[in-house]
Amino acid sequence: MIWKIASKDFLLNVMTFKFAVGTALCIILIGVFVPVLAQAYQERLKTYSANVAYNEGELHNVTVYKNVTPTIYRQPSVLAVFAEGCERQLGDSATIEYDQIPEISAAAANHYLSIFSVFDTALILKIVMSVLALLVAYDAISGEREHGTLKLVLSGTVARYQVLAGKLLAGLLVLVVPVAVAFLLGLIIVQSFPMVHLTASEWVRVGLMFLASLVFMATMYNMGLLFSCLARRSAVSLVLGLFLWIIFVLVVPNASVYLATHAVPLESEDKVNEQIAALRREIQREYTVALKETGESFQGGGSRNDMPGKGGFGRGYIRSCDETFMHNKLLEQRVTVPVDVKYAEKRWEIRYSRLRSLFEQKRLADNLARVSPVCLYENVMSVLAATDMASFRRFIDAVKTYRADVVEYVRMRTDNFAAASFFTPCTEEEMKQGDVNSDAPPLALDDLPRFRYEAGMAGVLRRVLPDLALLVLANLLFFGAAVAAFLRYDVR
Amino acid sequence: MIWQIVRKEILENVVSFRFFLALVLVVILFAAGSLVFLSQYRQQSSDYWDRTNENLSALRDCARSLYRVAFQKQRVWRQPRPLTLCAEGYERSLPNWFAFDIFTADLPDIRGGTNFTLSHFSSLDWVFIVSMILSFLALVFTYDSVSGEKEDGTLRQILASTTPRHEVLLGKYLGVMVTIGIPLCLGVLISLLIVVGSGVAFFSALDWLKIFLIVLLSVLYLSIFVLLGICVSSRTASPANSMVVLLLIWVVLAILIPSFGRIICDVSGTAPNPVELERRLAEISAEVWEKSERYGERAGYMSHNPDDPANNPPARGRLRTAEVEAKNHAREDHHNKMLAQAAVGRQLTCLSPTVVYRRASEAMVGTGIAHCVGLYRQIKTHQAALREYIRGRDAEDPGSLHLIFPDRGCAQSWTTISHRPVPFETVPKFQERALALGASLKLAIWDIGLLILFNLVFFAAAFVSFLHYDVR
Repeated sequence: MIWKIASKDFLLNVMTFKFAVGTALCIILIGVFVPVLAQAYQERLKTYSANVAYNEGELHNVTVYKNVTPTIYRQPSVLAVFAEGCERQLGDSATIEYDQIPEISAAAANHYLSIFSVFDTALILKIVMSVLALLVAYDAISGEREHGTLKLVLSGTVARYQVLAGKLLAGLLVLVVPVAVAFLLGLIIVQSFPMVHLTASEWVRVGLMFLASLVFMATMYNMGLLFSCLARRSAVSLVLGLFLWIIFVLVVPNASVYLATHAVPLESEDKVNEQIAALRREIQREYTVALKETGESFQGGGSRNDMPGKGGFGRGYIRSCDETFMHNKLLEQRVTVPVDVKYAEKRWEIRYSRLRSLFEQKRLADNLARVSPVCLYENVMSVLAATDMASFRRFIDAVKTYRADVVEYVRMRTDNFAAASFFTPCTEEEMKQGDVNSDAPPLALDDLPRFRYEAGMAGVLRRVLPDLALLVLANLLFFGAAVAAFLRYDVR
Repeated sequence: MIWQIVRKEILENVVSFRFFLALVLVVILFAAGSLVFLSQYRQQSSDYWDRTNENLSALRDCARSLYRVAFQKQRVWRQPRPLTLCAEGYERSLPNWFAFDIFTADLPDIRGGTNFTLSHFSSLDWVFIVSMILSFLALVFTYDSVSGEKEDGTLRQILASTTPRHEVLLGKYLGVMVTIGIPLCLGVLISLLIVVGSGVAFFSALDWLKIFLIVLLSVLYLSIFVLLGICVSSRTASPANSMVVLLLIWVVLAILIPSFGRIICDVSGTAPNPVELERRLAEISAEVWEKSERYGERAGYMSHNPDDPANNPPARGRLRTAEVEAKNHAREDHHNKMLAQAAVGRQLTCLSPTVVYRRASEAMVGTGIAHCVGLYRQIKTHQAALREYIRGRDAEDPGSLHLIFPDRGCAQSWTTISHRPVPFETVPKFQERALALGASLKLAIWDIGLLILFNLVFFAAAFVSFLHYDVR
């Protein structure tokens, strides 16, 4: 019996004006904008490849160990076409330095573009499709009552819950059609770009995105169904549904962030700057202490020959120098570099205290926004697209580990930063020779570990589960309330 | 007759369930928006005054020596405006920090107090509530204005009398406008009461005038959606169909088209890259220094001993000036490209009345991108005035070489700029000026024209549709 009701409702809904217009709009939007989004992704991928190649090239130009400061780039996520998340908002590169630990930063983009909001496929799904779900559901029960067919259905031996189950099934089947068409069309368009390749794990993610979209549609459908069971007239159920829709789509996402910026104060930047200045003074004192421990002192004079801009990563190096300068510089290096490397951790902690307050604010904003199924859906989509904050943090953690490896490598090669090769390729004979102007040969860095990172599936399911579970819970709540309301519904 | 129709429409709407919901929602949003605005404005104001005073006291220290005034990197913060209650214009994500000395002005930057990890959001300012919520409500009130009455059978009864169709149409329009006007005015009133009552923000007479103009602009904007609702309602036979069409049109106009702006910016091809800028600046430096002899003998040589005969101050002056001017030019270029990119995005999304309304209200109250750009220009003008002042004061000192060029070491060692102290009161100090009303209106005039055009188009469409409407 459920199936009969479902198939009747499915056929009725599929042949309506609203379904046709909604699906057509969805298809047009996807057809027009996914190519543009995919093209933008392709540009980003090209820039990424160029940057990675540049870095690798520069590593072959490095003449002194202090210039081993590659920049690590994050590969743009192809699924950002579906759900952009933080992809454009956060910086996608981090430079390896001796005295700094890399951390998440803002994208160095055009600030003036922040007046525009994000556009991705998930926006089309969460706005257009949720409206369609509401429009299909709002007159499921109240419309039938107005037409007089509800009492005819219930005058048979059909249980009330069976009617609702049938309607739910029909609604899901109706909404699967445009969602599936949207995903298929999007995938076909994205695949048609030459540089785009989806790996196996990305296909799995797309599949999960499709399932999540279905759960979201079901939530909006159940919401419409609930209002349909509460109101006697379709017009009232539509108005109620639309109000709740606008609260979920517009008010909650904006208000939750707005309120969070007010509720959680950020750590003051001035305080952070003061702490950094204090740390700098402490580092200076450490230098003095370390200098005393060596028992040596700086000599006066000394001359050097600079090669600015060359030697790898545009940092320049000292091509040759005299003995006095060599002595001074080696002493300075022995004293300062190990201290700098040691204090990188402390510096990071000071900056991280401010970053932690930013994350607190974001966490509060996210939690406040979880009231709305639209925000839950957006969270799920961005986790699956590997564009959420957590995937950026995992990337930065991998960069931090790599930095430790690089620092260790250089420490070993330069005998704990004491060798001259750290700052100059000048040999003993060249020192006696005087000014040398020829370019020095690059260092052999083939055994330097290279950065490898895979945005794997590990942890994705764990991160997706809470929001997905909340969506399923919302579904159950709405449907349960609809059943409860329908059991007492006056069908006359 | 028309006033009877208007009265009937108003009464019918005001006692409906949807009006009650609308009123509650709008009033809550206005109140919440004002309360959050108050706390933010308080914080921003105190921060602004602290930082400005810090800047001024640093400048006062420098007044002990004229050349130090020239090289002092002044830091100017954007002043928080009380009218961000009406239209914030995303100012929290726009550059609010400007640094300059008399030779260079750094690119505007965002400092302090912003959380880059948060996703993009609109603040609950008046423009957000009007452009999104109230426009939606306008559609909710008008979707069944014609088709619903046709279904109920009352439309043919009205038209069976001698009332001309255009009077019915106008009556409906005015009725719904008053209905929508009630939550708008109530919300605005509550918002103003909260803000003025708290005593945190102070509105000048010009501000009150601007507030009144914003309310008028909002009415103009809402009228577009009312006319759109009536138009679609009089083209469809049943309210259900008109609701579907209106909802989808609203989604496209108010949500999707404004978001297209970002994509348009990306594909418009003029993306300025900050890394490229850094590379370009380094290239300029390298190029200038390599050809240093072009500016004179030993232009690249500098010894801190002013009596060293190898020094060539005029040549060095030309070298440094050329370098800094080329760099400034590159930065200006970069900044203009950034602005152009944002402007293109907005221009091409002007199909949506929402974008036009937002831009017009930002221009009217002087917030948003226009504020940042105006401030940058004011800083440039001030920079020129300060440079003239320094030139003038320097000319009075016979001991200086009267060579004003951007090299602090030279100015210190060679006295290319006078070292005499100057009275701090005479030093021009930067003061941000708000745009006059005439200038604001001039900025907004095209957008106001566009809004009026939208109104006329939808009115004509509604008129023609209703004249042909089959009321049986």
